[in-house]
Amino acid sequence: MLWVALELPSLPLQIAQRAGACSEPLVIAEGPTQRPIVTCANEAARGAGIREGQAVAAARALAVGLRSVARDLAAERDTLERLAAWAGQFTPMTSVDGQGIVLEVGACLRLFDGHAKLTGAIKRGVREVGFHATVGIAPTPLAARLFARAEAHGLQVRSCLALADLHERLADLPLFLLDWPAKTLARLTDLGVLRLRDILGLPAEGIARRFGPEIVVSLDRLTGRVPDPREPYAPPPRFRSRLELPAEAQGVEALVFPLRRLLSEFEGAMRARGTGVQHLTLILVHGRKAHTRVSLDFSSPEREADFILAIAREKLGRLTLAAPTLALDLRAEALLAYVPREATWLPGAKEQALDRERLLERLGARLGADRVFGIAVADDHRPEWDWKPKRGQSGDRPGTERGQTGVRPRYDPGLSQVGRRPTWLLNRPQKLITHDGEPSYQGDLILLAGPERIESGWWDGEEVSRDYYMATNPRGEAFWIFREHRGAQSWYMHGVFA
Amino acid sequence: MRATVAELTKLPGVWRGGELEKACHAVVSTGHAALDRELPGGGWPTGTLSEVLHDAVGIGEIGFLSAALMRASEGGRMIAWINPPHLPYAPALAQMGIALERCLVIRPANKEDALWATEQVLRSGACGAVLFWLAQDEYAWLRRFQMAAEAGRSMAVYYRSTAAARLSTPAHLRVVLERVDDSLRIRIPKRRGPPLLAPVSLRVSPAAVGALAGGRGPFIPTLIHSERPKAVA
Repeated sequence: MLWVALELPSLPLQIAQRAGACSEPLVIAEGPTQRPIVTCANEAARGAGIREGQAVAAARALAVGLRSVARDLAAERDTLERLAAWAGQFTPMTSVDGQGIVLEVGACLRLFDGHAKLTGAIKRGVREVGFHATVGIAPTPLAARLFARAEAHGLQVRSCLALADLHERLADLPLFLLDWPAKTLARLTDLGVLRLRDILGLPAEGIARRFGPEIVVSLDRLTGRVPDPREPYAPPPRFRSRLELPAEAQGVEALVFPLRRLLSEFEGAMRARGTGVQHLTLILVHGRKAHTRVSLDFSSPEREADFILAIAREKLGRLTLAAPTLALDLRAEALLAYVPREATWLPGAKEQALDRERLLERLGARLGADRVFGIAVADDHRPEWDWKPKRGQSGDRPGTERGQTGVRPRYDPGLSQVGRRPTWLLNRPQKLITHDGEPSYQGDLILLAGPERIESGWWDGEEVSRDYYMATNPRGEAFWIFREHRGAQSWYMHGVFA
Repeated sequence: MRATVAELTKLPGVWRGGELEKACHAVVSTGHAALDRELPGGGWPTGTLSEVLHDAVGIGEIGFLSAALMRASEGGRMIAWINPPHLPYAPALAQMGIALERCLVIRPANKEDALWATEQVLRSGACGAVLFWLAQDEYAWLRRFQMAAEAGRSMAVYYRSTAAARLSTPAHLRVVLERVDDSLRIRIPKRRGPPLLAPVSLRVSPAAVGALAGGRGPFIPTLIHSERPKAVA
C-alpha cells in the first residue's frame, strides 16, 4: 500500500480566494460573535502585521478596509469532499482526512508511470482546480499526512516508498504536526519529547498509562504496525459546485477564469465516474434572490473542460447582465456514460461526425439555434411550404441521416416530375411592375418556360393559385415568376435560378 | 544552370509562369470539361479559398458548381451556405443532385457573427464545401479564411461583386461570371498559372433548359405539368 496525502494549508483562505487572489487584506474569522479571532490571514493582511490568533477588532486597527469572512466549516468539509470526488480520477480509494484528502495509489502507480509523475499530475490538477496543496507519500496514510503537513510548514522531507524506511524518515519530524490533543503535546514538550524519534523509543505501556491508549494506537498506525483502514468517499450521483468570486464581477469576461476552475473540477469528477453530461446548468448568482441561469446542452455526453468552456464563452458572450456577479454555481443532475474518444492518426467517419456535432453546437451557441439550420423537402406543392428547416436536437440536425420522420430523405421521383425549381427562393414573393400587362424586372421579362400551375392549400386558409413561369430579362438573369390565377392577376417574382 | 531550374520545377508548389500549377492541392471536377481544362490540377480547388465574382444574379452562378459541390461533400461532409442572399430552395438543390441532409444554412445576425461563423465552419473540417456571401473586403480576413480553408480542407467559395476585381486577394483562384446570350462566360483573372486569354463558355443556361421544358402549348390543368428537364450539370 502506498498513500498520497494532500494537505491544503489555510483551507478557509484558499476557499475564499479560489476564484483569484485578493489584493486587499482578507482574514478568516472564527469564534464567538462578540469577539471573533483571526484564524487565517492572506498576504496583504500579514504584510499589515495581522497574525493568527488576534482579535478581528485589533486586526481592523492594523489594516484599513480589512475584509473579514466568517469561517464556514460546512463549506470546508464540502470542498474537501468535492476534491475527493475530483481525485477519484486517479484512484478509486480517496477519502477526506483532516485538512486534506488521502489517496491509496499502490494499485495505480503503473498506470501513471511511477509516483513522481503521478504526484506531478495531481499537483498540476489541484492547481487547475484552484487550490494549493502540499503532497506527502508514505506507506501509511498518517505518515503521508505528516509529510504533507511538514512540507506545508516549510520542513524538508523526503517521501518514503518502503515501510522499512519509514521509521528513519519519520524520526526527525516534530510532534506538533500530529493531531493529538494540545494537552498531551504540552506535557510531552515538558518531558523534552519533541520529535517522533524521542517518542518512538519510549516503551508503549508507559505511554499508554500516562497519555492514554489512543496515543499508542495512533503511533502504531503511523508506523504501520497496525492497519489503518479508510472508507473510500462515495460521491453523490450528481455534480454541484459553487465558487464565490473575490469581488463583484462586472460583465462576463471576468467569469471565464473562475469558470475554467469549476470546469476542471467538473471534468475530474466526471473522469472519476466515467461519466459525462448532456445538460449542464451554470447559475450566475447576483444577489440573495437574483440569478441568471445559463443552460449548456450537448448532443452527446461531454466532460472536456476546454470544449465546455468554449461553448459557455459563446453563450455568456450573448448575455447582458443586469447586475454584477457574486458567485458561480455549476450543476449537473443526470450523469451519463461517457465514451472516450480514441485519438486516431487519420480521421475517419466517426471523427467527422464528432467534428460536425461540435461545429453545430458552437455555431448554435453563438448565433442562436434558429440561425443555423438544415433544409429538407416537405410534403406540399406550394413553394412556401414544400421545404422546411431542420432544427433542434441531435436526431433532427442537419448532417445526420437520422430523424427523417415526415421529411423525405431524398427527392422523391414523383416530385421530380415537376418543373425546374430555382436555387434561391425569395422570402416572400416580390410584386413585379408591369408594362402593358407584361412583367418586367430590370428590363422586360421574356417567358421561357411555363406555365406550371400550382393550386393548393384551399383547406388551410393559405390558398395559392398561381401559374409559374421561368423568365429572363435582357441581362440574362433567370427568375421564377408567377401570375396569380385569381383576383388581380398580378405578377410576382418568387425565385432566382442561380 | 538549366538542370537546376528543371529540378526546381519538380518541387511541389513550384511551376513555370507559362504553365498551370501541377496538382498539389486536391481538386474536384466541376463536371464541365472546358472549365476543368483551364483550372490548375484539372478541377476546382479544395482546401483553399476561391472567389466567384458576378454582378447579375440568376445566371447559374451556383449551378455551374453543382457537380463540384456534390463531389466535395462526399464522405459525409457538409455543404455550408453562409449568409446566402436568399433561401437555398430545397427542391431545387435536390434537382441539382445535392444531398439535402448535408446542407447547412447559416444566417448570422450581423457582420461580426458572419465572419466568426465563416472561419469556424472553414476550420472545423466538418464541411466539404463552404459557400459564403459577406460584405468583406479586408485582406486580413480573407487571409484568415484562406488559412482556415487549408486547415479544414474545405472547398471555400466566396461570392462577391465584380467591384472586387480591382482588389487583391489571397484566394488561389478567382473567376468572373458573365451572361452572354445563352451561355455563361467564365473569365479567370487569377489562377496558379498563366492568365486565361479566351474566356470559357458554358451552356449551363436556364434558357436552354427552359426551351426544353417550355413551349408546351395550352396549359393542362394538372399540378404536375412539365416533364423533368434534362439534368443540368
